[in-house]
Amino acid sequence: MFYREVGQFKTSYKADQSIFPILQDRIGIAVILFVAFAIIPAFGSDFFLSSIMIPFLIFALATIGLNILTGYTGQLSLGTGAFMGVGAYACYKLTTFFPDVNIIIMVLLSGFFSAAVGMIFGLPSLRIKGFYLAVTTLAAQFFLEWCFIRISWLYNYNNSGAIEVPRREGFGDIVLAGAAATPATRYLVVLSIVVLMTWIASNIIRGRIGRSWMMIRDMDIAAELMGVRPLYAKLSAFAVSSFYCGVAGAMMVFFWLGAAEVESFDINHSFLYLFMAIIGGLGSLVGSFMGAAFIWILPIIIRALPETFGIDINAATVEHINFMLIGGMIIFFLIVEPHGLARLWQIAKEKLRTWPFPYT
Amino acid sequence: MNMAVAPTGTAASKPAAQEVLLDVKNVSLSFGGVQAIKDVSFNINKGEIRAIIGPNGAGKTSMLNVINGFYHPQVGEITFKGETRSAMRPYVAASQGIARTFQNVALFRGMSTLDNIMSGRTLKMHKNFFWQMLRFGPALDEEIEHRHKVEEIIDFLEIQHIRRTPVGRLPYGLQKRVELARALAMEPELLLLDEPMAGMNLEEKEDMSRFILDVNDQFGTTIALIEHDMGVVMDLSTRVVVLDHGEKIADGTPEEVSANQDVIDAYLGVAH
Ligand SMILES: Nc1ncnc2c1ncn2[C@@H]1O[C@H](COP(=O)(O)OP(=O)(O)OP(=O)(O)O)[C@@H](O)[C@H]1O
Ligand SMILES: [Mg+2]
Repeated sequence: MFYREVGQFKTSYKADQSIFPILQDRIGIAVILFVAFAIIPAFGSDFFLSSIMIPFLIFALATIGLNILTGYTGQLSLGTGAFMGVGAYACYKLTTFFPDVNIIIMVLLSGFFSAAVGMIFGLPSLRIKGFYLAVTTLAAQFFLEWCFIRISWLYNYNNSGAIEVPRREGFGDIVLAGAAATPATRYLVVLSIVVLMTWIASNIIRGRIGRSWMMIRDMDIAAELMGVRPLYAKLSAFAVSSFYCGVAGAMMVFFWLGAAEVESFDINHSFLYLFMAIIGGLGSLVGSFMGAAFIWILPIIIRALPETFGIDINAATVEHINFMLIGGMIIFFLIVEPHGLARLWQIAKEKLRTWPFPYT
Repeated sequence: MNMAVAPTGTAASKPAAQEVLLDVKNVSLSFGGVQAIKDVSFNINKGEIRAIIGPNGAGKTSMLNVINGFYHPQVGEITFKGETRSAMRPYVAASQGIARTFQNVALFRGMSTLDNIMSGRTLKMHKNFFWQMLRFGPALDEEIEHRHKVEEIIDFLEIQHIRRTPVGRLPYGLQKRVELARALAMEPELLLLDEPMAGMNLEEKEDMSRFILDVNDQFGTTIALIEHDMGVVMDLSTRVVVLDHGEKIADGTPEEVSANQDVIDAYLGVAH
């Protein structure tokens, strides 16, 4: 009854093409941003910020990256983890060479390195499609993992074989990275980058370039006959997608983990991001957030439930329940709703629009 | 005797010289052992509606695929707007002004009607990646400018009510109409229509015929039309070329062609 666009007439195409044409959506997003930027950092506990919100946002960004390639352009990738690794190692090397440059700039610059690597591994997509392309991204995954282990220059020859995040200050003397950085600071940095990059992604997707990606995804023959050059469309998707993954990977190490080795970027993680994209909804930015929340936050809630209700249950059993639940959901979405949580949300909104008079 | 009379006679009765937009010369195309097109030549004049007809498997669709660069003929050449070529990429054909619709609807199923038609404007949009990222200033102006054009086409084809609908959910007849809209959004000089009325009921066919005539009339678009319904062909087309088993068996006005014995035989399935 209240979620309506009735009476909201668009008098220009400009208004009609804005991100959130419906007033209630605009209010909703303003509330979410206010809560995210003001309420959560002020009142959230360190655990909530460090272990729930920061990884959730980083995973959401990685999922957006994967979605650009797989959801919007239709090129299946199993190399997300490795592309994130490229960003992380690039950022580490950059800040080693230029310790005085603001780490946020380095995190963003490192995206260009993963974009370049992504484009190289995207070249086969001009000749091969679908399953076989997935296999070449798998090859990228293994090759890059090998590099992360064998090329010790990448982790400054540390004996541990890991990247250890150095202390970095910016904006005066605020500690942005390293053990001394407060969760609230790191959270705000991550949130700002994720919000900015999500906004940019939505702009690209709604414009000519995003349309050319979707044209390739939906019907590549027709796309070419309308003047889309497959080379440009696919490689730009690989580049932008890998850029997003690279920035997510750099943030993961510098603003969340504090130290990382190759395990953080392995094939299991690549699959994890793919699950997030599928459950959230392929080809949906909102879905990327939903998928990341579902896979990262739901298990934490389930783990906390027995204690909250005073039930005595083995921790291993809870983990098994988690695995079964997530596995079941993936199968459910693949079969019943391939467009994921985002589509369910959309259906709910459509229902809400006519509620309580379904036939008006 | 005849020979002496013929040249002057034809010269006198010929209409004013037409400007040839597309000239197909001695084109042959084969797939492995299958010869889809055998030494076919014909031309399309600027501003006309040129029908291509023939029984199933005659090579009509293959001919369109050759014209817009999707298939590369082994022999022969094609001259479009005075430029000759034998092989080119489809996006080059698109940029030269050739648009088409498909026999089996080839819409972008995951996108709305509006986005499908906007996709026809791809070649006319040039704002670079950085403006696209910000969707601000020039990029937004460009998007809105093309949205106006797209809305004109939406009005023209009377599909305002399905603007926001994902095309996968539309009935077949409307999908064909959206496909035409998408091709028109390219503002082509040559529009190739591959059986635009297949599977339609009478009313939908009448609508589609009207749209095709209007496009030809109002925008001056030259049209190559593949169609099985002879009634439609007779009504719409200026000239007709008839293919059978990859060969051209007749070429002329609808009246000439429908009186041609080879054509009648081909359609009735008389053995050669
Ligand atoms: N890509 C291809 N590979 C192999 N053979 C092909 C290919 N495309 C067309 N052919 C063959 O070429 C011949 C002509 O096909 P085409 O589709 O051009 O016929 P058509 O006149 O459009 O027929 P219809 O009326 O059924 O659409 C057929 O024998 C077909 O099998
Ligand atoms: Mg055909």
